[in-house]
Amino acid sequence: MARILEDHGKGLLAECKIPIPTGKAAATAAAAAQSAQEIGFPVAIKALVPVGKRGKAGAIAFADNEKEALDRAEKILGMTVSGYPVEQVLVEQKLAIAREIYLSITIDKAAQRVAIVASSLGGVNIEQLSREHPDKVSKTHIDPLVGLPGYKAIEIWSDLGLTGKLLRQASTILIRLYRMFVRYDATLAEINPLVLTEEETIVAADCVLNIDENALYRQPALADSVQPGSDRAWRPLTELEKSLIEASAKEAYRGTARYTEFDGGDIGFMCGGGGASLLLMDALSRAGGRPANYSEIGGNPPESKVYSLCKGILSKPGVKGLFLAHNITNNTQIDLMAKGVVAALDEMGIDPKVFPVVVREAGTHDEEGRQIFIAAGIEYHGDDITLDEAALLMVEKMRRAYPDYDQWEGAE
Amino acid sequence: MAILVGKGSQVLIQGITGREATMVTKQMLDYGTPVVAGVTPGRGGQNVDGVPVYDTIKAACKDHQLNTSIVYVPPAAVLDAVLEAVDNGIELIIIITENIPQMDALKLLQPAQARGVQIIGPNSVGIISPAERCKLGAIGGDKVERCFVPGTVGVISRSGGMTAECSWMVKRAGYGVSTSVSIGGDALIGTKPHTLLPLFEQDDLTEAVVLFAEPGTGFEEQVSASLESGEFSKPLIAYVAGRFTEHLPSGTVFGHAAAMIEGDAGRPSSKIERLSQAGALVAEQFDEIIPLLQQALR
Repeated sequence: MARILEDHGKGLLAECKIPIPTGKAAATAAAAAQSAQEIGFPVAIKALVPVGKRGKAGAIAFADNEKEALDRAEKILGMTVSGYPVEQVLVEQKLAIAREIYLSITIDKAAQRVAIVASSLGGVNIEQLSREHPDKVSKTHIDPLVGLPGYKAIEIWSDLGLTGKLLRQASTILIRLYRMFVRYDATLAEINPLVLTEEETIVAADCVLNIDENALYRQPALADSVQPGSDRAWRPLTELEKSLIEASAKEAYRGTARYTEFDGGDIGFMCGGGGASLLLMDALSRAGGRPANYSEIGGNPPESKVYSLCKGILSKPGVKGLFLAHNITNNTQIDLMAKGVVAALDEMGIDPKVFPVVVREAGTHDEEGRQIFIAAGIEYHGDDITLDEAALLMVEKMRRAYPDYDQWEGAE
Repeated sequence: MAILVGKGSQVLIQGITGREATMVTKQMLDYGTPVVAGVTPGRGGQNVDGVPVYDTIKAACKDHQLNTSIVYVPPAAVLDAVLEAVDNGIELIIIITENIPQMDALKLLQPAQARGVQIIGPNSVGIISPAERCKLGAIGGDKVERCFVPGTVGVISRSGGMTAECSWMVKRAGYGVSTSVSIGGDALIGTKPHTLLPLFEQDDLTEAVVLFAEPGTGFEEQVSASLESGEFSKPLIAYVAGRFTEHLPSGTVFGHAAAMIEGDAGRPSSKIERLSQAGALVAEQFDEIIPLLQQALR
């Protein structure tokens, strides 16, 4: 999934004829105050960051005049929310709220259906509400081949107790949101709260929108609104992660090389594929090793992709060893792995005779791979040892190369 | 016998003229898999390693009694390829392609389920039944016997690589596999582990099953229920990878697309506890699969 910021998300809502508050994004406090003046007081000022719980973090504030707007915007623009520095705020007309309700559309992976979650209460934590008041939350599965019929939208709100004009308005919003969900290949579209104003109009006060990264190829209009790779981090991407995503995308035609950086650690973790990396990370930690990163290589990457990833892994400060391991491959070519890794070590001026390197690479073209590793002076293992044994060997080598390894920072 | 694939398979390859499909077609034929037809629209009349290529499955069905299809088309074409296979009466569809839009996956799983068609994948590396000399997909690569030798143990894994590695561990323990199934790493897949257990239960050849589990999903909860209900009564040896993910902030995907921990059921520690309670033999370390298997099959 790829997150869309609130202002872009609301732009898409408006395009689908779902009413939103008048608003404008601003990158400086002065611009925010200027926008507030144009919109008219009172206004809401919200941090534009791709994470939830902004209210709790104090990243949403209200202002009744220009001075307040300037102060609040300045404060929020200096904040960091869940690791994301606030670079922009969204200034919006503050709504006169008569009532709040909740609406979201998502993909229910367990049921393998589209799910519409609605509630007669809004501005709430929906998970908590559905535990404590299950009667106030409804979940409806939709077959995407059939779509959402109008009567079903009305049923959903009617069952939750909505009547009259609000029932009709909310149903129209639901139908439009479903259309938008499908049109933009969303995996989550949430409006919390959906506000009924004192003037009896219905307005989307917030918008959380996640787009399926695998569908971006058919969503050219969203190209500038999403950040690829944003599904894999609980914090903003580090510079190294960004550069490795770029390097991987440059040659997108074959193979994956994913990289996630950890705080601290001293063993460069260059492993694959998706399942074996999970296993190897557990095994290495259990053996007493301290991985500096996580990675997954797979899908038979070309030598250049292996090289970029390996160089990236080795360039992280504090990395004192390299763990190169893989499940027995079905199609990933071990000779290409070997060439990429040897080139990276060479380029970095690393001598594998003093710098601990453990290789466990078996599978397609492994005989050629073995010869390349050995010619480069690297001890090679293929299917003579198991994955667990490779992890033990890595830690053993670290201890041999660095007799005080178990006293290093991070050791337990 | 074996499950899903064997001597009775009559195999069609959708997207047979693509680079990878062409390479894998040769591997499959060399191994003994009955690949009888291929489809690539606009390439009808050609052949790939002697396998005739048709423009449509409908046309291929006139000449062949097809029951199994392997989908090698690009992500944007998968939905259509699967609908075509379902409409033409194919009973088992293995989707090799990965990175399929989730909406397309939903749209192809629905009609397949409604028609009783078994879908494996998306993002599967394939299925193999060594005693029947039948492999579908790149599974085993060009040296199939390294990991997959005939035997009595079933293997189930999301990860294609770990399907091979687990089968190799079975061989190292002194046994071989009946059928190994790579069920696919995508978030939305057609065949979940617990739905394969009744097939392994009924299969005379299979004496035990090895399951490789990852964080996320409720799969192991469902597997545990199958053990408790007696639906599966043979020994089940399980390994759950990714315990380190529990010490990291939530919301990050490690491993496969569905390996995001959402709620307690998806946590490796919960899975281990639940499987053990239900009577599975859970390996603490991956290497323990070997003694556990030897103990179960003694």
